[in-house]
Amino acid sequence: MAAAVAVVTPTRMELLKLKQRVSLAQRGHDLLREKMDALVIEFFEILRRIGEARTSALKQLSQAYRALSICSAIMGTIETRQASKEARRELEVEVSTHHVMGIVVPTLEVEKVERSVLDRGYSLYTTSSVLDDASREFEKALGLLVKLAELEESARAIARELEKTKRRVNALEYILIPRLRAALKFIAMRLDEMERENFSRLKRIKAMLEAGA
Amino acid sequence: MSFKVAVIGDVDTTTGFALAGASYVHVHTKKEETLAKLSELLATEGIGLVLITHSIAEELGAEFRRAIRTKKLLPVVLRIPDKTGYMPAVDELYDLIKRTVGAEIVVRAEGG
Repeated sequence: MAAAVAVVTPTRMELLKLKQRVSLAQRGHDLLREKMDALVIEFFEILRRIGEARTSALKQLSQAYRALSICSAIMGTIETRQASKEARRELEVEVSTHHVMGIVVPTLEVEKVERSVLDRGYSLYTTSSVLDDASREFEKALGLLVKLAELEESARAIARELEKTKRRVNALEYILIPRLRAALKFIAMRLDEMERENFSRLKRIKAMLEAGA
Repeated sequence: MSFKVAVIGDVDTTTGFALAGASYVHVHTKKEETLAKLSELLATEGIGLVLITHSIAEELGAEFRRAIRTKKLLPVVLRIPDKTGYMPAVDELYDLIKRTVGAEIVVRAEGG
């Protein structure tokens, strides 16, 4: 801090400039702080939704694995894998972006994740109905996972932004503003000191003049 | 815009998601291969979502984390449990909260 003080010249002009900078920094700090608070609220809202989405998605997923195990057991592992290779694999996820507090967040949406038996593409003649069950369970799980992925990605994006904002707030609060204030104080003291010097100098001159007269 | 879904996992995981309509599947065998595949998937246009099982993500370790940190906005990468239901003991989100919000981590407990 001493280094910052050393470079300022103690003039009235500099004092005025510094005062302006301090008020600007203060305003910036307040704005960033508000942004940070808003982000934190948003962040926790998303975390709450992740909690819900995750529970249901994971439950559905374990159900799907169960159905697949049953299918492998009844139909045979190789046949199941074969059917998965035959299946039509063209699921499309609609991706768009939206803004949360100026942060770009992807939105994932999936239409018609659950297909009818005929749309799945594997041969119905050679496969068992347990395969249909397994497919359906996995389609459901995938639908839920897509939503979960969107939420987790949003949380990550907001967290990144939050970190950045926090760093800026701290830089202003703990470095820039104290430094400016120190310089301000230094100039004010210096100016006062100069005034006192001048005062005593005038007194002395007056005394000398009176003595000479 | 429509995007495809990719899955990296063990045989059962990939079988299941292939049945559900995932377009790209990669069965994990060797670490190097999977890493190469992952970066290929992340660089491919037209993939919107990459699912990877927790156990594989953990096996890939630091390289995996670097890959998702440096990726573009898309595809979104989501880690899922595999057949055994394996989830890492330390939740990545929990870590994220700890880092960003500091002391307010308790709120997570009621959120699930």
